[in-house]
Amino acid sequence: MVQINLPKNSKVIKGIYYKDKTNSKNIRKVNVYRWDPSTGENPRIDTYEVDMDNCPSKVLDLLNKIKNEIDPSLAYRRSCAHGVCGSCAMNMDGKNGLACTKPHAEIKGDINIYPLPHLKVLKDLIGDLNTLYKQYESVEPWLKTSKKNDQQENIQSKSDRSKLDGLYECIMCACCSTSCPSYWWNGDKYLGPAVLLQAYRWIMDSRDEDRKERLNKVADELKLYRCHTIMNCTNACPKGLNPAKAIASIKKMLATS
Amino acid sequence: MNEKNPISPHIQIYNWHISSLVSIVHRITGVINITLITIICFLVMFLMLGPNNYSLINIFFNSIFGKFVIIFITWSFSFQILSEVRHFFWDLGYGFELKTSNLTGVFVIVGSFLTTLLIYFIGRFFI
Repeated sequence: MVQINLPKNSKVIKGIYYKDKTNSKNIRKVNVYRWDPSTGENPRIDTYEVDMDNCPSKVLDLLNKIKNEIDPSLAYRRSCAHGVCGSCAMNMDGKNGLACTKPHAEIKGDINIYPLPHLKVLKDLIGDLNTLYKQYESVEPWLKTSKKNDQQENIQSKSDRSKLDGLYECIMCACCSTSCPSYWWNGDKYLGPAVLLQAYRWIMDSRDEDRKERLNKVADELKLYRCHTIMNCTNACPKGLNPAKAIASIKKMLATS
Repeated sequence: MNEKNPISPHIQIYNWHISSLVSIVHRITGVINITLITIICFLVMFLMLGPNNYSLINIFFNSIFGKFVIIFITWSFSFQILSEVRHFFWDLGYGFELKTSNLTGVFVIVGSFLTTLLIYFIGRFFI
């Protein structure tokens, strides 16, 4: 259901202000969403003054600096720091992206950092993605083939392989799904751009023999057709992929088959 | 997962893009248009009831508020039609690249106002 306002326990309040202690002249204010599960308090926005003279270029570096030097209690996911693992997906400056590939110089004014939108918050910038993973499992993202061939490669022509370009690169960071208003309101039923892009990736795989079955499975008023081409997904994707186009391609395949 | 976990902020913090703006206005104008078509049908029905009704409707549409309503209707339909053409191309599988979709989005917004002006002047000076 469309729910514009946040529930009572999710209303964000003003938090702690951490003043700069390095006497640096090059200071930026960083506003970070905080929620501690061990207290019964509402989420809050803590503000950190960060010395930018000694800070590397990406937003993740900024968060690492805060965690290492100012406030070790800050929690966020990160791993590879090179835009490959998709762990550090979050909302920066009102747009989803990977903290490790987003330069903070691109952000004007104060830097606002929130968790991915409309998720249950586990702690600070960590959102609960279990629903998304369950939905991912539901599209059965593995090769289905009757060939019992353990000795040889399963060969694919170059043109068949190129059909997977723009699909296989997805790192499942959930930036797209959590940027989609349709997914906000119907996230329990609508599969969302990330999962539908994956579904399309397996539909398009020439080695897969389950195409019809896969198409029938997603052909659902709620699972697929909640996409209204809002295009927030394509705008958000840090890998430059186009989930909106993938979803439209599924719709087109269903309409023409 | 228990109920105490908060929901992270969504529409409150998310930036508007051209595409999302056109999308929501498309929905709103859609609802407005279907309501307006119903009202227009009723107006036509009133006209059939006699000259008194005609003069009443005539007075309303010649008032400033009435004129505003007419211009708004013209805009609302212009927007809906242009945006629908955009959706039509999407359904055919074209125009999904970010640049293209942003460009067509701007075209819809600017075009809706231009079409409104065009229809206004045609109605004012040629009919």
